[in-house]
Amino acid sequence: MGIHELDGDAMQTGRRESVDEQHGRMLAERARQGDTEAFGELIEQHRHRVKGWAQQITGDPHMADDIVQDALIRAFLHIGTLQDSSRFLSWLHRIVQNQANMRMRRGGPYRKERPFAAFRPAESDSSHVEWSDLDSVLFHLTRSASKAASGDDDPAEHLMRKEMYETIHALLHCLSKKERGIFEAYFFRQLSPDEIASMYQMTTGSIYTYIHRSRQKLRNEQVRASLGLLPEKGGIAMVKRKQLELPGWPLHASASISLIDRIGHMLAAIGDPRETAELMGLSGFAFRMQISDKTTFADGVYMFDWRTSVQQLLQQLGYDSTMLCGQLSDTPVPLLGAVERFPVVLPIEEAVIPFIRKYIDLGKPVLYFDTSASRPYVHEWSLIYGYDDEEKAVHLTDVLKPSGKILTYEDIANNPVRFLVAIDGKGPSSASAAPRLTGTVHMRKRRSDEAVQAIRFAIAYSKNRWGYRPMTTYLSYTTGLAAYDRWMEHLRGGPDKPPNRYGLGQLAAVYANTRGHAAQYLRTVPFEGEAMRLTLLASEAYEQAAEALAELSAAVPFVRAAAVLSAEQCEAYAQILEQAQTFEAAAIEYLEKAIHHFEKEQ
Amino acid sequence: MSAITEIRFLTEFQQLHNVSSAIASFERDHPHVRIIVEQAADHYESLRAFNSDEAPDIIESGGWSLFNRPGMFVDLLPYVKEVPGLQEDLIPGIMRVACKDGNLPGLPVDVSVPLMIYDKEKFDQAGLPYPTEDWTWDDMMALAEKLTIRNEQGVARQFGYGNGVDIEFFEPFIMRNGGRLISLDGTARGHVDQQAAIEAFKKLIDAYRVHQVIRKPDEPSEAGDLHEGFAIIFGFTWFIGGCIEHGLSGRFGVVGLPNMPGGQQGNMIYMGAAGVTSKSPNPHLAWEFLHHYVLQRPDSFRSRSTRTLPITRSLAEQSGMTEHPLWSRYIQELDHVQISGFYINEKWNASRQLINEDINRMILEGADVAQTIKSWTRFA
Repeated sequence: MGIHELDGDAMQTGRRESVDEQHGRMLAERARQGDTEAFGELIEQHRHRVKGWAQQITGDPHMADDIVQDALIRAFLHIGTLQDSSRFLSWLHRIVQNQANMRMRRGGPYRKERPFAAFRPAESDSSHVEWSDLDSVLFHLTRSASKAASGDDDPAEHLMRKEMYETIHALLHCLSKKERGIFEAYFFRQLSPDEIASMYQMTTGSIYTYIHRSRQKLRNEQVRASLGLLPEKGGIAMVKRKQLELPGWPLHASASISLIDRIGHMLAAIGDPRETAELMGLSGFAFRMQISDKTTFADGVYMFDWRTSVQQLLQQLGYDSTMLCGQLSDTPVPLLGAVERFPVVLPIEEAVIPFIRKYIDLGKPVLYFDTSASRPYVHEWSLIYGYDDEEKAVHLTDVLKPSGKILTYEDIANNPVRFLVAIDGKGPSSASAAPRLTGTVHMRKRRSDEAVQAIRFAIAYSKNRWGYRPMTTYLSYTTGLAAYDRWMEHLRGGPDKPPNRYGLGQLAAVYANTRGHAAQYLRTVPFEGEAMRLTLLASEAYEQAAEALAELSAAVPFVRAAAVLSAEQCEAYAQILEQAQTFEAAAIEYLEKAIHHFEKEQ
Repeated sequence: MSAITEIRFLTEFQQLHNVSSAIASFERDHPHVRIIVEQAADHYESLRAFNSDEAPDIIESGGWSLFNRPGMFVDLLPYVKEVPGLQEDLIPGIMRVACKDGNLPGLPVDVSVPLMIYDKEKFDQAGLPYPTEDWTWDDMMALAEKLTIRNEQGVARQFGYGNGVDIEFFEPFIMRNGGRLISLDGTARGHVDQQAAIEAFKKLIDAYRVHQVIRKPDEPSEAGDLHEGFAIIFGFTWFIGGCIEHGLSGRFGVVGLPNMPGGQQGNMIYMGAAGVTSKSPNPHLAWEFLHHYVLQRPDSFRSRSTRTLPITRSLAEQSGMTEHPLWSRYIQELDHVQISGFYINEKWNASRQLINEDINRMILEGADVAQTIKSWTRFA
């Protein structure tokens, strides 16, 4: 069927077709102006038709598949050159025809990689950037600094550039470590190939080869991710499965802050087991408490800057990491206060699954924020430790399912919050990257520095009433010692504003556990003399706070229940919290004195 | 003895006084019905509850996004039509926003609009006349400049105008200038990037940078809270309700938003809703409770602690709001409300804080207004 027959059909079927055509024109216009979602929708509409054309020309369904993929990539790269959006189908047909002819000739000019930015018309304005075209963007990024500076006053361009940097960063996982280093040096740090060659002790020619190869890989990755195309045949994207054997994770090793729990398990899986209390202490989660100002909802537990916190913790532990981060727009997101500034992303499997495949293939589980956690949980961090292309499913952990669970690729793509983190390797500059030889002077000094930093954080955090403030105006949280006051206020709110029962249960369970870890961590810090004595007293006070909170947790277990608590129960619980707050305030006082002595002794 | 029928009511609100009171009176009249209240922390939890095997009969949400989801709620218009006179009683401005494709997925609750609240004491002290309905944006800036008082170091102990940095609070001024952020079919291109929107936005940013009458983000201030050191306040019903509850109503007057050069009437509206889920085995009974809860209890708006507006004219009258010196102006404003971008386009809604970061850059760094807001076409 040709394009003209298609247009004829449309005319014959009357009004319904006209509306569709109008919609199609609108999509094409949006796509032409750089809207990748609109392009994706157009392709979804016409994919079968495109395949039909290709098959009709070649008579070969396998070759037709390849032609469709090539044609869609070319269409995506060139949509900005489409002059008349009402002619989208004719234009697409012509691209398919050209691709098919080229394939059938088994050659042609496009078998070889084009020179840089050759896709752009010669007469085009060199300052104009096609943000949907990676070649154009990369060309733009490599313009001389003075030229680039002239665009700095344009905030629209500044924002687009920032977003494109973020997008490119998210795609970099398709490159090898060396390719990535060279790519970043060239495009982001704007070093010359000569400079990079001397940095890597390679020839300038081979640097060009690396840049060329990386650009090609990235462009394909971007187009695949944007279009939701199937993985390339061959290479790492070949259909396969892999499941990692996670090391045991006994109950005593676990933490109720599932982020830290899963990071601990992830490190153990790559052969770097750490004490959970150490991770809780270093990350500060042992000392944090945050309560919603609305009621005893437990969302405060999850309110912090995820990107910075995870990256910093892993860096502190000596690791580089890569993360994928975003939110979907067509479904409600949980924890809005934490994810409110995540970019809106598309629910496309190919934007997430290659990332998972890559790290699982390297033997590394992937940290994943699971919004389908088993009840009574709503969402928790988990580890993805396997994938199966044939079943289109991943294997991941779940707090309540010791043998793990399975989610489909579709589930992963449709997760309203996209937050995945993988460990790349040891960072070059971190002191923590050094072998953890206990007992050496160096090691002791480092642990002591870390402890001072953690304790200073605990003190500052306890006094900062408004630690994390989302931009969303109707969400607010109280932190530190004042969080206890807010918690008690909720318990004493009376029948008009009763505390939320299941949130209360989760808060009690989580914070009893964190205070236990605080006590444990403080016992291990390598202080001496009076500083150590005071730190041990603080540890004891945290232990008592943990016991009080555990008493509350036993009275209000974390289960999904809508039961209304009586006024007497609420008052009794508030009194337990008063005790816990007193112990924790004492702990903070001891820590302040301990730091004072430590500094004096130094 | 007949069996008890349970209606499960899931709410995202934490103040349960109204619903508890409605349950008490409803169960008294329906002795074989029990209403079970459950809470959800956010829309996502509500959606998970709906998708579970134990979906609630009614979901009450503080926002509108769940009510945009096809198939989640039953259309209440057939039930509305069963009640004589109800359809005519519902305030048309609210229904204009709440009904989509001829359906009413939920009864609006937590309804609120903004108006300009002025502190009469501060106007009196400055010897300035109170604003009137015909005032313009430029009039407001001139007043606000006179009402902004700074010390020698430039720190304000009184600001002329108080408004938060949020695209949703800026949108009414764009509407009033004859523009839109998002078209009714959900696109930003051709709307946010047009002159009416840009012109209104420039005026708003000038209020911070040129007139310096609004507190900039994180600007040092001795002005205290909004009800203390601000002469004119972009105030929602929640704010004025708080002032009334705390006995401050005599200090404040209320007037419409200033007129913009575009000369259009228009305002935004915030509201959540309570709807009967499509999984409810007892939709009619669930509707009966909703009807009672939302539409038959004028006392809930008569209370001194009310913060929101009723959705029928009869409730507004029976509660005394139409006679109240402050509330009556808010009720009038319901005739002018329009549908904001966040109701129409979820991508736009989800990008709210990225947009607000841009507004901060315009205020603090002087980022170009026209260029920046043109770039927002990528959010819708």
